[in-house]
Formats: sequence, structure tokens, C-alpha cells
Amino acid sequence: MNKNFIILGGGQAAVYAAREIRKNDKESNIKILSEENFLPYERPPLSKDFLLNKKNQEDLFFHSSDVLKNENIDFENISINKVDFENKKLFTKNDDFYSYDSLLISTGSENKKLSLDNNLNDDIYYLRNLEEAKTIKEKVSNKNKITIIGGGFIGLEIASSLSQLQKKVTVIEIGSQLMGRIIPKQIADLVQKTHIQYGNEIILNKQINKIIKKNGIYEILLNDNSLIETDFLIAGIGSAPSVKLFEHTNLKLDNGIVTNEFCETSIKDVYAAGDVSNFYHPLYERTIRLESYQHAQNHGICAGKNIAGVKTEYTSIPWMWSDQFNLNLQLTGICDDYDEIIERGNDINNGVIYFFLKNKNIRGACGLGIAGKVGRDIRITSKLTEKNIIVDKQILADQNQKLNKLIQK
Amino acid sequence: MSEENWIEVGSTDSIEEEDLIRFDHQDKTFCVYRLTDGFYATDGICTHEAVHLEDGLVMDDEIECPMHQGIFNIKSGEALSPPACEDLKTYPVKVDNDKIFIKID
Ligand SMILES: Cc1cc2nc3c(=O)[nH]c(=O)nc-3n(C[C@H](O)[C@H](O)[C@H](O)COP(=O)(O)OP(=O)(O)OC[C@H]3O[C@@H](n4cnc5c(N)ncnc54)[C@H](O)[C@@H]3O)c2cc1C
Ligand code: FES
Repeated sequence: MNKNFIILGGGQAAVYAAREIRKNDKESNIKILSEENFLPYERPPLSKDFLLNKKNQEDLFFHSSDVLKNENIDFENISINKVDFENKKLFTKNDDFYSYDSLLISTGSENKKLSLDNNLNDDIYYLRNLEEAKTIKEKVSNKNKITIIGGGFIGLEIASSLSQLQKKVTVIEIGSQLMGRIIPKQIADLVQKTHIQYGNEIILNKQINKIIKKNGIYEILLNDNSLIETDFLIAGIGSAPSVKLFEHTNLKLDNGIVTNEFCETSIKDVYAAGDVSNFYHPLYERTIRLESYQHAQNHGICAGKNIAGVKTEYTSIPWMWSDQFNLNLQLTGICDDYDEIIERGNDINNGVIYFFLKNKNIRGACGLGIAGKVGRDIRITSKLTEKNIIVDKQILADQNQKLNKLIQK
Repeated sequence: MSEENWIEVGSTDSIEEEDLIRFDHQDKTFCVYRLTDGFYATDGICTHEAVHLEDGLVMDDEIECPMHQGIFNIKSGEALSPPACEDLKTYPVKVDNDKIFIKID
């Protein structure tokens, strides 16, 4: 009998899962339910080339509607309001329902919101989806001074793009360095230096006490009593997995939906993939939640295989990038659990990489360089990590020694 | 086709096995690869976001872009993994007296 496979959330993990199910199962019904009225699209350009007008909306879609039609994958623009895991049903706000045999949850993540005590919540803009990117692009077109609250990846990418659009950008970060503690301080400082060189103002260690709106202009009062005037406010203060729908169900949640190495959740026939899942990684022997392009794709594919009955363990080594100005930052593996750090290079023109080792094994690495300069070594690091290859530390530390040889048979 | 289209890149021992070199000619950049079964050539710039593939990783028959891990088949130029979706142009290669030539149209 044909099964009903439903994928809740229509982003990157969803579409890769759907196509992978179809690859392995030609008969069953596959339906993607998405609250966004767009076919699945790439989010990384939203803060970069889309804001910079180098990419249009049409450039962002993973696949055309023809590809999905040809593979007999339904895509429906609908928001799900309630889930009944016991009876395997998903409900819309009108109480229409969809029944499933297997369900994949790939609802992604959502931006944390600033809570201000006055009525300015509608004056603060966030970036997560295409609609929001379009709004920001349109609104900033006649603004000059832009303030970005939060110095994380997305905030800094927006800061880089708006600076390239000749805006006067200020970034306010509550922490003592950019991009959070997961990034080596030296790399955060190099990124900060680049922003400053391009004219952006970076304010660290400061909290916002109050924002006052006067004649369409905002005054931001910081906790050291300094004042910043700005024409437009964007916040990027972190994100959280989109799990509200499941909070009062018996689905196990802990920093997202807890899944095992087969993308299975605590409920039979319910799977989760992408940003929303906190998945068990057999190599690191712990759970990890990632917000990364490569992970959303690979995890979606792995979930698709398992849903279609091809039991497959997820062992992909985490990897993500951020592009700001002419810099490319990359992270692989995990960089928060180590007993030794090794530095390779000290100049962004040739790339700088920090390797994180534990018991002599590489666990992860973080690199920064002019576009293209750290990718190969970071990729090789992923492979060395995956294979648990112990490497001579002197080779890692010496940029004159190519790392290629270490992974060649 | 005329002989002039074959451009000398360098000697065969200038490229290690499973590796590549960048080759600039007039205003264009190419990558020339040495795989286990011979030499190949493609455009030198990724079709995704204009980064030099010379810094990429060669694995088997594939070149992986150093910027966002887009993957191309070196022999056919086919884009194999997102975010790369547009194929990479390939060029014929010949070896004559230990010298590598590529044919640029
Ligand atoms: C601005 C921005 C820039 C980024 N840049 C990079 C980068 O440079 N490099 C990198 O590696 N990663 C980057 N990322 C991260 C990457 O894009 C995400 O990790 C990836 O999109 C996650 O895919 P996903 O399928 O898990 O979730 P998403 O792509 O977020 O898709 C989830 C979908 O589910 C929908 N949904 C949620 N709840 C419901 C519901 N109840 N009913 C119906 N639909 C629902 C959502 O609206 C959304 O469309 C970026 C992300 C953003 C937002
Ligand atoms: S620039 Fe090559 S994959 Fe993006």
C-alpha cells in the first residue's frame, strides 16, 4: 500500500529529504507543507548577495516547480497549528487535517526577539526569510545610518552588505567579542578589524538601556550613558529551534527536537532534520544542533533515506561558512571541546586556521582568510577528523607544508 | 582547427598527482589538473561566486570549491553539489614531449 509521507516545513532540509525519499520509493505520496509561499530556497544569500542586489529572488530556489512535479512531490503553502502524534494527524487553524504514516519535522529555527518596554517592537527588523529580506532591502534604500543589534554571523553579514551599499553602519554587541565565544578571539578580532577598515563602527561590551523614537529617528541609550542616533534598526541576537508547536506534546525536546543518529525522534515514525533537530553524533558521542547550509542538506538527505527504509547513520562532520566583505570564515567539527589549540598562519591573505585537538585527535577547526584561502585546509581537516587520523602537529602549524598529502591514499 | 589554439601550460612535472595548477592566459584563468589517468583542464573560476578554484581540493575526479564546497566533475565540468549549480567549462588537453597544452576556443 502507498504510504503518506509528510514533511512539515518547506526549507532546505525538507526539499532534500523529499527528493531522497523519492529516489528510494517511487510509489508513496510525498507532501511538503510550508508556511512560506515560496518553493524551498537558499537562505545564505539573504544577508549577502540578495541585499547587495547581486542575486534576485529567482536565483535562490533550489529547484524549479517542474523538478518537484516530475518527481511527484506535492508542495502546499499552509501553516500547521496543531499536531496529534497519537492519531498521526496535522491540523491547520481551520481544523483541516493531514494524515501521515511517517512525518519529517524540518521547521528550522526562528530569530530571538528583543523585548523593549515601549511600543517600538514593530520598528525593529529581523532577517530569517525572503519576505523579511525584501522588506529590509526596500526600507534601507532611503536610510543612511543603520544600527545592527547583535554581532553574530547574520548581523555582521548584514553589516558588511549595508556598508557595501554605502550605509553608515553601527554594530552593538553585548559580549566581549564578535560571533560568540565559539570563534577564537584572534579570528573575531581580525573580522572586527576588517569591519572597521571598511568604515563600520563596532561597539562591544555594551547593552541597550533604552531606545527613543523622535521625528522618525531613533536614539539608542547604552548602559554607559552614550547615545547613538540611527535611522533604522535591525536585530540579530540569536535564534532558537522552531518547536513551539510541540511544546505540549510528548515529543522529546532539549535545545530542539532530540534525534538519534538515524534522524528518529522519541516518537515512532516521526523524524526531524536540519536546524530544528538536536542530533546525536556518533563520532563526538554527544548531541549537536547546527544552523548550517551543508548540514540542512545532508541531514535532510539522511532523514529521507531512513524514512524510505534505507537505514543510514548520520556521520557528517559539521561545517559552515560566513562571508563578510572579502573574507570567508569557515568552521568544521566542534570547537568547544579541546585540550590543545594549534595555529596555522597569521595573515588573512594566506589564511589563518586554529585547530582544536583533544587527546591528539583533531576535533574541529576555525579558519579565516581572503575568499578561498582557508577552504581546502578546512575541508582536509573535516576528513582527518572523520577518519580519526592523528597528525604531526608541526605539519598542521606550518603553512609551507600542504595538508593534501595527509588524506591521499 | 588551427594549431594556434593549443596553448602551452608548462611541463608535466609541474603538477603533482591528484593536484592542480592555475594557468592565466590573456585575461582568462584556467585550472589544469593531473589525475591518475591523465591531465584535464577547466575554467579557473567557480561558477557560483567567482572564487579561484586553484585553492580548491582535488579528490578523485572532482574539484571542490574552497569557498562553499560546491563540487564539479573535472572531466565533464558537471556541477555535482550545491551551492554550485552551473556547470564548469572544460578544455581539451594534450601532452607533447612532457609539455602540457590546452586548447582554448
Ligand atoms: C540570513 C541567513 C543567512 C545564512 N547564512 C548561512 C551561511 O552563510 N552559511 C551557512 O552554512 N548557513 C547559513 N545560514 C543557515 C542555513 O540557511 C540554515 O541552516 C538552513 O536554511 C536550515 O534549513 P532547514 O530546512 O532546517 O530550515 P529552514 O530553511 O529555516 O526551513 C524551515 C521552514 O519551515 C517553515 N515552518 C516552520 N514552522 C512551520 C509550520 N508550523 N507550518 C509550516 N511551515 C513551517 C519555515 O517558515 C521555513 O520555511 C543562514 C541562515 C539565514 C537565515
Ligand atoms: S564560490 Fe564556489 S561554491 Fe560558492
